[in-house]
Amino acid sequence: MHTFSYVKAGSIKEAGDLLAANSDAKLLAGGMTLIPTLKARLAQPSHLIDIGGLPELSGIDAKDGKLTIGAATRHVEVSRSAVVKKAIPALAYLASQIGDPQVRNRGTIGGSLANNDPAADYPSAALSLNATIVTNKREIAADDYFQGLFSTALDAGEMIVKIVFPVPAKAAYEKFPHPASGYAMAGAFVSQSGKDVRVAITGAGPGVFRWKDAEAALGKKLAAASVEGLSVDAADLNEDMHGTKEYRANLAKVMTKRAVAKLAAPAAAAKSKGK
Amino acid sequence: MDQHEHHSRLFKVGGAQVSRFEDMRLITGNGKYSSDWNAPGQLHACFLRSDRAHARIVSINFDKVGQIKGVVGVYTGADAQAAGYLRPPSFLPPTGKGGMKARVPERPCLAIGKVRFVGDPVAMVIAETHLAALDACDLIDVVYEDLPAVVDPEEALKPGAPQLHDDVPGNCPVEAESGVEAPVMEAIAKAAHVTKITVDCTRVTASPMEPRAALIEYTADTDSYVVHTPSQGVNMTRKQFATYANLGEDKFRVEIQDVGGGFGQRSTVYPEYVSMMMAAKALQRPIKWVSTRTESFLTDTHGRANLITATLALDKNAQFTGLRIDWITDQGAYLSPTGPAGHIRNATSCMNGVYNIPALYGHFKVVLTNTGWVAAYRGAGRPDIAYAIERVVDAAALELNMDPADLRRRNYLALSDYPYKSATGSTIEIADLPGLSAKALALADWSGFEARKAASARKGKLRGIGMSAVIEPTGAGSYPRDEIDISVDGEGQVTVHTVAHSQGQGHETSFAMVVAEALGIATERVKIRQGDADRAPHMVGNHTGGSRSMVGAGTVCHIAANKLIDAGKSLAAEDLGVEPSQVSYGKGEFTSAHSKKKITLAQLAAKKTLAAKGEGTFISTFPNGCHIAEVEIDPETGITEIASYLSVDDCGHVVSHTIVEGQMHGAVVQGLGQVFGEHIVYDKESGQMLTGTFMDYIMPRAGKLKSIQMEEYTTLSKLGPLGIKGMGGSGCTASLPALVNAVVNALGVRHLDMPLTPSKVWKTIQQTNVKH
Repeated sequence: MHTFSYVKAGSIKEAGDLLAANSDAKLLAGGMTLIPTLKARLAQPSHLIDIGGLPELSGIDAKDGKLTIGAATRHVEVSRSAVVKKAIPALAYLASQIGDPQVRNRGTIGGSLANNDPAADYPSAALSLNATIVTNKREIAADDYFQGLFSTALDAGEMIVKIVFPVPAKAAYEKFPHPASGYAMAGAFVSQSGKDVRVAITGAGPGVFRWKDAEAALGKKLAAASVEGLSVDAADLNEDMHGTKEYRANLAKVMTKRAVAKLAAPAAAAKSKGK
Repeated sequence: MDQHEHHSRLFKVGGAQVSRFEDMRLITGNGKYSSDWNAPGQLHACFLRSDRAHARIVSINFDKVGQIKGVVGVYTGADAQAAGYLRPPSFLPPTGKGGMKARVPERPCLAIGKVRFVGDPVAMVIAETHLAALDACDLIDVVYEDLPAVVDPEEALKPGAPQLHDDVPGNCPVEAESGVEAPVMEAIAKAAHVTKITVDCTRVTASPMEPRAALIEYTADTDSYVVHTPSQGVNMTRKQFATYANLGEDKFRVEIQDVGGGFGQRSTVYPEYVSMMMAAKALQRPIKWVSTRTESFLTDTHGRANLITATLALDKNAQFTGLRIDWITDQGAYLSPTGPAGHIRNATSCMNGVYNIPALYGHFKVVLTNTGWVAAYRGAGRPDIAYAIERVVDAAALELNMDPADLRRRNYLALSDYPYKSATGSTIEIADLPGLSAKALALADWSGFEARKAASARKGKLRGIGMSAVIEPTGAGSYPRDEIDISVDGEGQVTVHTVAHSQGQGHETSFAMVVAEALGIATERVKIRQGDADRAPHMVGNHTGGSRSMVGAGTVCHIAANKLIDAGKSLAAEDLGVEPSQVSYGKGEFTSAHSKKKITLAQLAAKKTLAAKGEGTFISTFPNGCHIAEVEIDPETGITEIASYLSVDDCGHVVSHTIVEGQMHGAVVQGLGQVFGEHIVYDKESGQMLTGTFMDYIMPRAGKLKSIQMEEYTTLSKLGPLGIKGMGGSGCTASLPALVNAVVNALGVRHLDMPLTPSKVWKTIQQTNVKH
């Protein structure tokens, strides 16, 4: 690690001011990406502004068809929350599949969405459910928020305060974990709200994306068979020694089918989501 | 019951299933590992490493490091040259094929003139703090002139390939042979069927939980060094330090306690440690260094990295008539002490596997590439040769449309064939594969596989079954004998000294059980001391490696305890008022029927020095076994689940079933790690390591193997009084071929190289359109 100044922010406003005043400052919540980066001496921020303990960033609340989760809420809290399990059980399941217990005890939903790792789990839920990302400055629709590899609509000095998820009729998440890292090689979050079906794929490409062909087919008939004849365009997907584009395209489809199969069996799905 | 069916619970003391004495200390964080040693006034070392695979060093400028407060020194190859720290020991045989003289390149402790792999240490910074040393490294300016690099061993052997060392033409330190070529070529020429297969026994890394570390102190009075560093045995470490630094062994005192994993990776004294000696002496202060995990990936010795072609000749009755092995062993940029010799020797020793193969020939090419160096790794050539043999046998069965179990059965050596003199010149003591494998096949319900396959198919899964039948030589050791010092104190506490050092094997328990059994006392009364720094220089003995410690040091514990009893009889005779021959011993007491007197171990030791030295010389024992795995593959994702895993092993008498089972679990999982994921990969163009973190290097997870059914089938070794065969590595030797054979069987292909990752398996399914 290089040296830096540590500041524990007392409020969202103070954190925002510090961020605005120090262009090389970084926000620290769970630190699950930032701390390893610092340890590898790959980043040299002037300040770490610790927002992990801010009460304004915590809390889980469901009302009026919306589930609101504070940005500093840890994955373990989302995975175990009775409120989340009742409103969007697939989201609680997703949180339970992130990393390992140590990561889930530290990592936050806001941190995951701000980082927008192309293989992170949360972006798929936010995009599929068309969540609203509420920052200290404005509200951003998920459709506008994700802008590819580690890139978001957040401006410098902007920080996520909370995430508002519209509660869908049905939702399910399935991922194929990378055999080394456990990140999603491909993950599919499928949700149905009214007639709308939205399929968000994470892990396979340079950033989370919607598989619109599958959405259209599933909008007509919500069954795994509906996507059987479709394929994810492999051209823009990731490729490395762990898998070709074609393999990732295949996984995206298989995970979508499995998520849809879970949707089609709500009782069984609810049980498996409860763990 | 047959002699070989007999598995007596020889060891009754404390029960065969005692939990390990060392575990409470280790799992509660009370172990003392190398980085736990600190010395007053210590300084910290940090190494600037090559960021490229092959380059000439044009200049090194460290003028700017003075900007960093606390920096006290920078050392480079010029210092290595001045110190003469240029050549680590090598156990390479001095002559190879046709009298070829082996060419062992220098490895200066800091690079001189050239860097040869990513991670090669170029400079060492010494500072008051670790952070200052790191910051200073960032300010050293090295100008390189890049050279073409070669990371593929076959490419490295080709004419015109980039040359790593001027004194190693063709990047080939030595070519070696085993057996005789002509009879094998004749067998191949006359064969009814020939099966030839090339298998890549991939490059992996040990990834021990404890990273490498060292604390090195210099003592001016005696011009000597105190060393704390992870080791498999202090004698070996001392000897390697002495060789690398051209000093006497008496100039090194090695003090270590716990070691967090060895696997062969600790069998090397690394250049970093020797570099630190220079600073410790020049600055007259202790120097400390702890490796990062990134440094571990780049610079710890790697394992395996063997490309093996096996050509098997069979007659019309499917009897094996000859086997040719052509073996390219990639040693990386430099030769480690244990790398090349171990691979050649261990592969030669059991080149016939468990079969009657009258003609054997092995041709080994040792190759240097622009990659990390390679050393012993759990088996050191033994799993590699077994993998090649068991793959070529399965391929032959496929080609001949035979049941692989049947083909093996036709070719096994029978119990009566042992001791067996192989065509490569080794004498293999005893095994009974016909009996052992019959037990395994019955337990695994080999013949019922088709029904299970059909059941899997109904679930949309591809099921495969694979077996391996293997044997291996345990290490004969590089020291002429193993010694054990044993003594008793006035409290009746027995202390045992050994130089075999546990890196997790549990000597504090298993050696104590042997001694307690011999003395007829509670195991708790026996304390095992490993590598005591005062005593070790006066003891002869081997390090822990090659699955040999229970065979060697463990057996000598028994011998030493019996010598202690004899010594005690002489001492007790006086107290009991009889001749020594009239003294009996049992359960911690010397008694005399004549005088009706008795004296306990403690009472005797309170009066007189009660101690003994045991010794013994042990050649290789031959643990063997048959493992049967069944796998289920999800054709949609290519992921493989291990549906069942059975091991039937013969390691002679078992001292501690707890420890043997633990070793077996670990070894099987280490094998499956290589089969399903572990792989060190270098980019062919740049020579950069692509798998330098656990984000890309696929370690096995506990859930991959949900259970192992472990069974024994015992034949006793007569090489020692306890009937023991070593077994630390044999599970790994058996699991590589069993698991790959099972996956290959499920996919219906002839061969697939490791690692069998989901993406590779899926791709194979796509290409072969296998039906499910």
